[in-house]
Amino acid sequence: MNFAFTPDQLALAQTVRDVLAAHCPPRALRTGRLPAWDRLAEVGFFGLLVPPEADGLGLGLTDALPALEETGRACLPGPVVETAVAAPYLLPGLPKLASGEIRVAVLPPGAAFAPDADLADLVVVARPGGARLVSRDSVRLTPRPGADPCRPLFDVAYTGSTPLERPLEPALLRATVATAAQLIGVARRLLELSVEYARTRRQFGAPIGSFQAVKHLLADVAIAVSFAAPLVHRAAVSADAQERDAPEPGGGDTAWRDARTAKAAAGEAAVLAARSALQTHGAIGYTEELDLRFWLARAWSLSAAYGGAAEHRAAVRAPVLAGDTRRYP
Amino acid sequence: MDLDFSRAEQDFRAEVRDWLAAHVPAPLPSLDTPEGFAAHRAWEAELAAARLSVVSWPAAYGGRDASLIDWLIFEEEYWAAGAPARVGQNGIFLLAPTLMAFGTEEQRRTWLPRMARADDVWAQAWSEPEAGSDLAALTSRAVRADGGWRLYGHKTWSSRASYASHGFGLFRTSGARHRGLTYLMFPMDEVTVRPIAQLDGLPGFAELFFDGVLVPDSMVIGEVGDGWRIAMAATSSERGLTLRSPGRFLATADRLVALARDADPVLADRAVRCWTDAEAYRLHTFGTARRLMAGEEAGPATSMGKVFWSELDLRMHTLAVELLGDRAGETPWLDGFLFSLAGPIYAGTNEIQRTIIAERVLGLPR
Ligand SMILES: Cc1cc2nc3c(=O)[nH]c(=O)nc-3n(C[C@H](O)[C@H](O)[C@H](O)COP(=O)(O)OP(=O)(O)OC[C@H]3O[C@@H](n4cnc5c(N)ncnc54)[C@H](O)[C@@H]3O)c2cc1C
Repeated sequence: MNFAFTPDQLALAQTVRDVLAAHCPPRALRTGRLPAWDRLAEVGFFGLLVPPEADGLGLGLTDALPALEETGRACLPGPVVETAVAAPYLLPGLPKLASGEIRVAVLPPGAAFAPDADLADLVVVARPGGARLVSRDSVRLTPRPGADPCRPLFDVAYTGSTPLERPLEPALLRATVATAAQLIGVARRLLELSVEYARTRRQFGAPIGSFQAVKHLLADVAIAVSFAAPLVHRAAVSADAQERDAPEPGGGDTAWRDARTAKAAAGEAAVLAARSALQTHGAIGYTEELDLRFWLARAWSLSAAYGGAAEHRAAVRAPVLAGDTRRYP
Repeated sequence: MDLDFSRAEQDFRAEVRDWLAAHVPAPLPSLDTPEGFAAHRAWEAELAAARLSVVSWPAAYGGRDASLIDWLIFEEEYWAAGAPARVGQNGIFLLAPTLMAFGTEEQRRTWLPRMARADDVWAQAWSEPEAGSDLAALTSRAVRADGGWRLYGHKTWSSRASYASHGFGLFRTSGARHRGLTYLMFPMDEVTVRPIAQLDGLPGFAELFFDGVLVPDSMVIGEVGDGWRIAMAATSSERGLTLRSPGRFLATADRLVALARDADPVLADRAVRCWTDAEAYRLHTFGTARRLMAGEEAGPATSMGKVFWSELDLRMHTLAVELLGDRAGETPWLDGFLFSLAGPIYAGTNEIQRTIIAERVLGLPR
């Protein structure tokens, strides 16, 4: 048993981190809709989960998880989870997916709007009778107001669509876990920004980070993130195990339990990190001008994406009470 | 990254589970009563005879050289089986790691095998009336004498000292705040022990009065004047891993979920959240164990675990008592609730832990 990422998994994350540091700095969030996407495509990021037959690497979600966390840390805009994680399960043979030339947006079940649909070549729309696949030329998008300036929402109408052959569930499961990983990255960055600010901002002749009220506020964020992250890692291991061991119906219950638990904990940790970051910054944090706003907004938008914490906790309640307390991933 | 237990790990789990199923006694009287203390010592001897009392220690001292992962497996099985509280825990989980890291081979050979069988039961004597969170303010002294050291002073809040045979703690050997402290062991025989009743009315603590007790040099751990550093090394294992492994909280969480099965959804939600938080502590600990096995230090990050488990334990027991209402006292939950209240206080209060996290993990200014 080795509950730690392998050197390969960490090296992949480091590559993505370096690319994002160079090509998705905070100022890029104000100018472009897709900063660093071409560079990520060059390092093979969009093919990580795509099967080898379609020119991908055929890796598991666990392998890609630390890299996905980096996309959250950098607040990378665009339909990252949808294109890099959901699409390989929904459209595994799609040409040009692995190379990053095709982008996919998703309107998940229960959601009103599709984020980043303006950037998508294909939109997957969940519908009661089965998911539909809509191409760029037959979609009509209407922008809707939302909290996150770098993750705009769109009402999706369409003139033509085809049925999606693959089931939506496995892709949603993985998108949920991947979003949780991004939330961990967002939370870690918010904590770093708060610590940096608390070390430099002075009041009463001392750095505000020397005051115990500020220390304890940020210590609680550190605790929340530290104990949410392993739940996200386990959810990825469970998703991969489900694919390997129990692809039959019902086999995914534990994977869903773990995914929901992870998403709830990661969302709560990120929202706490956002709330505490804003409090630590005071009024300057309450401005459009400070880059902090991008991470605040990402914490809020992703914590709601693919189901909020309360919804996931409610869904986990029944099976756990009914005795699904199995502990292996 | 995986959660696959090896064949050997699975076999070990099965062995522990089977042994416990055959040997765990009906609930023993509280270990803070004379009969309960004796019964718990007898249980430790039985565990030791099966070489299960200290599985992670070297075989030479009564252990099995088991890995940290095996030890975590043992703990999961131990608490799930409803086995008795560990009367020797302060010795096993605090003094023993200190002796392994800083003691002499002679000290280890003398004391560890006896500790493993609960021939000796050790009490921790750190706190003093005027030195709680500010431990380095302690004033109990060890004075050089013919044949060793004479101890003077007043310790308090020493768990199980009412019945323990030995103690270990910090004593002042010079005025320097930190560099003037020395780590010493002592037998209880000549110490005046005044039991203190805890919230449950039983003498779970005691005060210790030292009036010139003589201890030989062989009772000094490490160098004279190096006590603070040695004690702080022990606390990181106390807070992080060994004192309160996940197994205890997983077992509590499983019982809580069973208790909340038919509860109102609002209460049931709190129970399930505790269950998933216990899972988080378990998984987090697997990660920590891996880092320790790879030779890394646990360090100040263990303070996060201390805050997390103590507050989780308190939430679980508070909810259980709420669910049970008047009937709580007919179950072990009430005692568990009283004990869980102490978690945020002992082993360094949670306020002190949060400050440590802020300063030493996050790097905020002092
Ligand atoms: C059940 C139990 C078992 C124990 N067992 C043992 C034992 O076996 N051996 C032993 O030596 N000791 C033991 N202790 C004592 C324990 O270590 C102390 O209680 C603890 O260190 C706190 O010291 P104190 O009680 O004097 O509280 P104080 O230090 O007086 O603290 C009181 C309150 O003030 C807060 N406070 C103090 N300083 C600060 C600060 N700098 N910043 C913010 N807040 C602060 C504390 O967090 C706490 O909330 C035990 C305690 C309990 C409850």
